[in-house]
Amino acid sequence: MTAQGPSITGAAPKAVFRVEGVKKDYRMGEVTVSALREVTLEVYEGEFLVILGPSGSGKSTLLNIIGGIDTASAGRVWYRDDELSAYGEAQLTQYRRHHIGFVFQFYNLMPNLTAEENVEMATEISRNPLPAREALRLVNLVERGGHFPSQLSGGEQQRVAIARAVAKQPEILLCDEPTGALDFTTGKVVLDVLNEINRSLGTTVIVITHNASIGDMAHRVVRMMDGHVRDITVNAKRKTASELEW
Amino acid sequence: MRVLDRKLLRTLWRSRGQSMAVAAVVLCGTACYIAIASAHSNLELTRSTYYAHYRFADFEIMLERAPLTSVFRLESLPGVRQVRGRIVEDVNVDLEGADEPRIGRIVSMPDRQEHVINDICLLEGRYFSEGNPNEVILSKRFAEANRLVLGDRIEASIDNKKHSLRIVGIALSPEYVYMIRSVQELVPNSERFGILWVPQEFAETALDMKEACNNIVGSVEDPEQLDAILERAEDLLKPYGVFAKVKAGNQISNRFISDEIKGLEVMAKIIPGLFQGIAALVLLVLLNRMVRKERTEIGLLKAYGYSSRAVAFHYVKYALALSIAGSLAGFAVGQWLANAMIRMYVEFYDFPLLRSRVYFDVLARSMAIGIGFSLLGALFAALRAMRIRPAESMRPEAPHYAHRTLLERVPALWRRLSFTWKMIGRNVSRNAFRASLNAFGVMISSGILIMGFFSLDAMDYMLKFQFEIAQREDVKVSFQTERGKDALYEAARFDHVRYAEPLLQYPFEVRSAWRKKDIVVIGVPRGARLQRLINAKQEPVDVGATGLTLSDRLARDLGVGVGDVLTLKPLMGRITKERTLVVNQIVEQYLGSSAYMDLDTLSRILDEPFAANAVLLRVEPGMERDLSRHLKDVPGVAAVEVKADSLKGLQDTIEMSAQISNTMNIVFAAVIAFAVIYNITAVSLAERQRELASLRVLGFTTQEVGRILYHENFALCVVGLILGIPFGAGICRLLVSAYDNELYRLPFHLDTETFVTATVLSFLFVVLANLAVRRQIRKLDMVEVLKERE
Ligand SMILES: Nc1ncnc2c1ncn2[C@@H]1O[C@H](COP(=O)(O)OP(=O)(O)OP(=O)(O)O)[C@@H](O)[C@H]1O
Ligand SMILES: [Mg+2]
Repeated sequence: MTAQGPSITGAAPKAVFRVEGVKKDYRMGEVTVSALREVTLEVYEGEFLVILGPSGSGKSTLLNIIGGIDTASAGRVWYRDDELSAYGEAQLTQYRRHHIGFVFQFYNLMPNLTAEENVEMATEISRNPLPAREALRLVNLVERGGHFPSQLSGGEQQRVAIARAVAKQPEILLCDEPTGALDFTTGKVVLDVLNEINRSLGTTVIVITHNASIGDMAHRVVRMMDGHVRDITVNAKRKTASELEW
Repeated sequence: MRVLDRKLLRTLWRSRGQSMAVAAVVLCGTACYIAIASAHSNLELTRSTYYAHYRFADFEIMLERAPLTSVFRLESLPGVRQVRGRIVEDVNVDLEGADEPRIGRIVSMPDRQEHVINDICLLEGRYFSEGNPNEVILSKRFAEANRLVLGDRIEASIDNKKHSLRIVGIALSPEYVYMIRSVQELVPNSERFGILWVPQEFAETALDMKEACNNIVGSVEDPEQLDAILERAEDLLKPYGVFAKVKAGNQISNRFISDEIKGLEVMAKIIPGLFQGIAALVLLVLLNRMVRKERTEIGLLKAYGYSSRAVAFHYVKYALALSIAGSLAGFAVGQWLANAMIRMYVEFYDFPLLRSRVYFDVLARSMAIGIGFSLLGALFAALRAMRIRPAESMRPEAPHYAHRTLLERVPALWRRLSFTWKMIGRNVSRNAFRASLNAFGVMISSGILIMGFFSLDAMDYMLKFQFEIAQREDVKVSFQTERGKDALYEAARFDHVRYAEPLLQYPFEVRSAWRKKDIVVIGVPRGARLQRLINAKQEPVDVGATGLTLSDRLARDLGVGVGDVLTLKPLMGRITKERTLVVNQIVEQYLGSSAYMDLDTLSRILDEPFAANAVLLRVEPGMERDLSRHLKDVPGVAAVEVKADSLKGLQDTIEMSAQISNTMNIVFAAVIAFAVIYNITAVSLAERQRELASLRVLGFTTQEVGRILYHENFALCVVGLILGIPFGAGICRLLVSAYDNELYRLPFHLDTETFVTATVLSFLFVVLANLAVRRQIRKLDMVEVLKERE
């Protein structure tokens, strides 16, 4: 059985990412810390992928390398037919700009801009953006568009962050513990939004989480351990966010 | 405390760019202060010792001819300490191989050396020997510039007779520290003008002044009484044609030095406050940010048992470290600058003992000022650090609430702004203090630039006004006495002369109510083309058939305006009748302050049909030199001045000294602008790291992220310039009113170029600061920044 995701028709799924033997070492004086020991992985077009693993297992490191804000020490990474690991700083910036949306545990909104302006900011640099209001509608926050981040709750801020990431119409949405700072109910709302984006826009979504139950939402679940991919499971049946048990 | 100190060193090192920028401002302030204050002390002290040692006169009276016996009567006036009658006369000096005329000022000295008023300081050779009246002591620079040495002979033409004089000494005099012949010359030209100190006996015979004098210098017991004493002296000397009384304060050489000393004094008061104040403000911003960032650490330190005072002192020490480092470096640079300034003064002033010295009181004062200001800058942050309580420091700081800016009241406009400008708008309104400080830095910096360029603009304009707009002759011929029409025709008939215009200069006493002044009235023909009068609108105006035209400074001194009546009394000659005249118009004049009237009317006042004592000539180009050689030997001609010669060197000298001070001004302006903008931007960047890093994650390029900071700086630079231009112009206005006296006045004139250059330079400084910040934006580590909690 191939570890495959959304392909219901049975046709060979297309890989968006191919990660081959990627290593990441941090040299700290005498000692070298290996964040990634040798990771090989494919991510398919349109899938909802969840990465699970204990703290320090290298999840963020992997996601950052895929997202082009960090680089590998060894190994190669392909984005479709391009070798990402050969990109320079300027190319990586362009790559992030046009293909990637990031969502972090901390929302990283511009405190000086209103929710709508935060989203507009992203639309200003992309080729084919969703209108800011449209993006806010996706996360159900149109009526809060004029508010500043400090006037919004954590969950609302996270949804603005998602709207900002989605407004660029990226092919891939990378989420590093998007619910990490949120309570159960709010977390579900956010996950629901992510699921909806994956479904309706066909965006490939990768979500890192500590919460194993979130894995039930995914097409596939990658478990990491000590800088390795320990195993990959395919969910025969996916749950919706509201069905999750926290 | 060791740990804290180590932390301090690490902080200093980590923010070395910012630390250095602050220290640089302190350095500039210190250096500038030391240079100026040392030069001030040095000049002041040198002058007063020199004056005391060689008995610089408190007053000088110029008259036609007084018997020496009258001088003794003057000495017996109460309050008068010492008086000396002498003979002073400008004569032509012939030197072998020199084609330009030299003017030597004959100044008589006692035949045998005595401790007299306005004594000379012999540098080389000896005093006159007995029985040898044809000996001369030369002023040092004139001798040097013309390569004259002891034993050489020079020829002086006095009353068309040539006298050969042997050089026996080289000397300096407190009267001619700044050696210019008249205020019109502005800067010394040592080749063309010098002093010839001769024995009294020689002067009396050569100038036909047996037992007489035409110049009296004296000293008084109490300078406060000077005016009263001069009144009585004038009464006493009335029969001898007193035409000018000069108090020490208005003596040309002394006036120029005094203004220089006064200028230094004012600068020494302003400069340290300006620089150190800016350093303090920047420190305030830096330390506030530091304390805010280190809140938790401060709380922890206190929880461990460090006292509040120890923690607060930690931040004070940061300020002190920068200030002391800046001051120490400033000592070195300042002393170097002070030496350079003294070298420049040595170029312009003839003091026997002007050399660089170190003034420890100045150093100590500058250090104290630096430390005082840095403490002031650190105070706020230190208090804030003291107030932090361990418990609350662990909690996150209360979130700030962004608010809408004024601009948003105009939604149509706001909507059109790109998000970069929206962020800038909100950031400026949120950090109003920092933004104002940023603009303030540009304002001060551009003000300094404008002020610096102004001195050159004003001088240039003054020269242009004087020598191109007002005085348009090529050659000026002065006669020994008043002459009739024939002299004018004769001059006009000389080869190469294209046009000739007469001039009559005559000393008068003018009175308006209780105000009284001795002035020179200049008679110019109606429709004059070579000696033009220029009004405040910069238009040439005619002198008018009747009435007086006054320079604006003279009108102010006399407290009169157009339509007022003045009483005039000739100070020389046989006519003593007083006249009343109406003030017709006021004209501009920057060098000297005179009154003008129609030449014919002036002649009639002197009871002559036509009189002139000078002729202005327009000459075929290149022929001035030839003509002057011929004119010099014409009987009755006292002096021939070729304008091109007087102008030569003048412009260069002014330009050179202005360039030196402009270079310094540009450096200072750059340091201020850079330090302020760079520091504020760096603080802002540090505060907004997270925001900016997440923009990078979104796919913004470093350039696009930087733009948010750069554009803000450019916008604030525009604000700074909008304030800085009037601010700079305001300082120039102050300078104009500070340098406004009977002898000279600065025109308030700023070239457009000055504003353009100041603007361009200000933007350049911002670009430099932005470039420095750009390196930090490049280094923004997305992964690291985003890992941290908000
Ligand atoms: N800049 C760094 N320098 C040194 N070691 C680092 C650095 N960044 C990460 N590491 C190490 O790399 C390993 C993997 O880190 P990573 O952030 O990818 O873990 P993670 O799986 O995302 O953990 P968490 O669930 O806690 O976020 C950890 O052991 C971490 O200590
Ligand atoms: Mg992580």
